[in-house]
Amino acid sequence: MDPDPVYYVDLTLNGLIFGAMYALMAIGLTLVYGLLRILHIAHAAVYAFGAFITVIVANATGSIALGIVVAIVASALLGPAIYRLLYEPLLKHPPYVAMIASMGLLIFMEDGFRILFGEQGLTFTRNPYPTEIHQLFGVTINTVQIAMIVLSVVCLTALALFTTRTRVGVAWRATVSNPTIATSFGVDAIKVRYLNFMIGSALAALAGALIALLNNFVEPSMGFVVSYKALAIIVLGGLGSMRGTLIASLALGLVESFGTILVGSYLDRDALAFLFLIIVLMVRPQGLTGARA
Amino acid sequence: MLRLENMSCGYGPVRAVTDVSFELPDKSALALLGPNGAGKTSTIMAIMGHTAVQGGRILFNGEDITHVPPVRRVDLGIALVPEGRRLFTDLTVEENLTVGGYHLSTRNDAANRARVYDLFPRLSDRRKQISGSLSGGEQQMLAMGRALMAEPKLLLIDELSLGLMPKMVDQCFAALATLRAQGVTILLVEQNTTRALDFAEHVCVMTSGSLAFSGTSQQAKQDENLFDVFVSAGHE
Ligand SMILES: Nc1ncnc2c1ncn2[C@@H]1O[C@H](COP(=O)(O)OP(=O)(O)OP(=O)(O)O)[C@@H](O)[C@H]1O
Ligand SMILES: [Mg+2]
Repeated sequence: MDPDPVYYVDLTLNGLIFGAMYALMAIGLTLVYGLLRILHIAHAAVYAFGAFITVIVANATGSIALGIVVAIVASALLGPAIYRLLYEPLLKHPPYVAMIASMGLLIFMEDGFRILFGEQGLTFTRNPYPTEIHQLFGVTINTVQIAMIVLSVVCLTALALFTTRTRVGVAWRATVSNPTIATSFGVDAIKVRYLNFMIGSALAALAGALIALLNNFVEPSMGFVVSYKALAIIVLGGLGSMRGTLIASLALGLVESFGTILVGSYLDRDALAFLFLIIVLMVRPQGLTGARA
Repeated sequence: MLRLENMSCGYGPVRAVTDVSFELPDKSALALLGPNGAGKTSTIMAIMGHTAVQGGRILFNGEDITHVPPVRRVDLGIALVPEGRRLFTDLTVEENLTVGGYHLSTRNDAANRARVYDLFPRLSDRRKQISGSLSGGEQQMLAMGRALMAEPKLLLIDELSLGLMPKMVDQCFAALATLRAQGVTILLVEQNTTRALDFAEHVCVMTSGSLAFSGTSQQAKQDENLFDVFVSAGHE
């Protein structure tokens, strides 16, 4: 083993990049949980949907950027539609009813992708970005990874500013904290729900699009693995907390990155998420940040 | 200003309050008293639109508001200081006030904040603090400040002094007196009967969901039976 420091920088950077993608994906999930106490498992299907739309539009028009924009807009409409058509009619029932319906929708959409686009998945006809290599402070990084860093920092910063510096953003957090009282002060909880699904779904679609670009490949079940990782993340982050979710996402990214090297021969990368979840919950049952009980 | 006409309310099939009627004139204060489980909170939350009204009417300035959606009632000039404060605990003091004045957009925002910080200087020192980490008294002040941000004509206060140290109780009642002097109409639910009777000129007493007494504080102080209501409830 060669303890080259650049190698560890590389692992760290890779971990953080994956962590950032998990964060984009998991924030929508934690927000829905905070607001409605529903485990929005179908969120993973929105992520896959975003990835598929990106590839399809990019291949049809020749513009990857346009593909991403269309994917984000379409997902920002799909999310609220899922709320309106699937969850709202189920709100009067216990939360597990909506959760089961959500699982159903995930399977339905996955099979939908399979029927429409084939079992094999799709690739970009022209996607030079994953193979465009740059040297950055001695680390090798490709264009998609740079885009991942830049876009996730921009989006998460924008989200943080929105939720702390604007009246609507503050009202949104107030609704997550106490919907009844927020309503008493004139905050329309229904609009907040739509906003919540819109923003969460747009972020998930962005993550899906970027992962599709990085792998140069999308396939129907791509949401499945991500869905259980995202569930692990929001539990670790202390269900409903945005900050906790961000920290848990980055932590999981790093654990996977280093874990693959350290225990990779015994454990699959995807199994590490659960090992991490189990260990953290044994030591800190309140989650990593302990923001909520 | 506020009038309940044979109002009944409850939760699904459960009836919590039956046939309650009272009137609260403009710029007056009414104390709503009664033992635990009498239906005081249910009544207040029905006025706010959160408890389902099962019969009768609620009138505000002559207008029937029984079916006005909860989210629109603050526009009429009704604001709530709920039982147990129910702050937005992971928001800062400032942010709680922002939500309090949400229905006004930015209109009078700065002036209303100044008014709250004037009334409760302790909050002024803690603007950036997460409200969940405030002391009980400070939380009650913030719950009142949040309601004031809405520029209420009618302030509904559920359990002002519960769990507070005597000094804090004094401060909260002093603030309430200031608000009254400024012309805010007040409906106060309060465990501390003596303080409530000293503060409000009208009194309603509820027991097990219905009105047991309605009159002036003077009458209430002289009514011996009223005392029994609380004593008997205390021995249950
Ligand atoms: N969410 C609810 N669902 C069902 N029943 C409820 C609910 N909230 C209150 N009740 C019932 O309604 C009745 C009145 O309760 P309420 O809280 O209005 O009384 P209260 O006078 O405010 O009592 P306290 O002094 O303890 O605050 C009680 O019998 C209570 O059990
Ligand atoms: Mg009560």
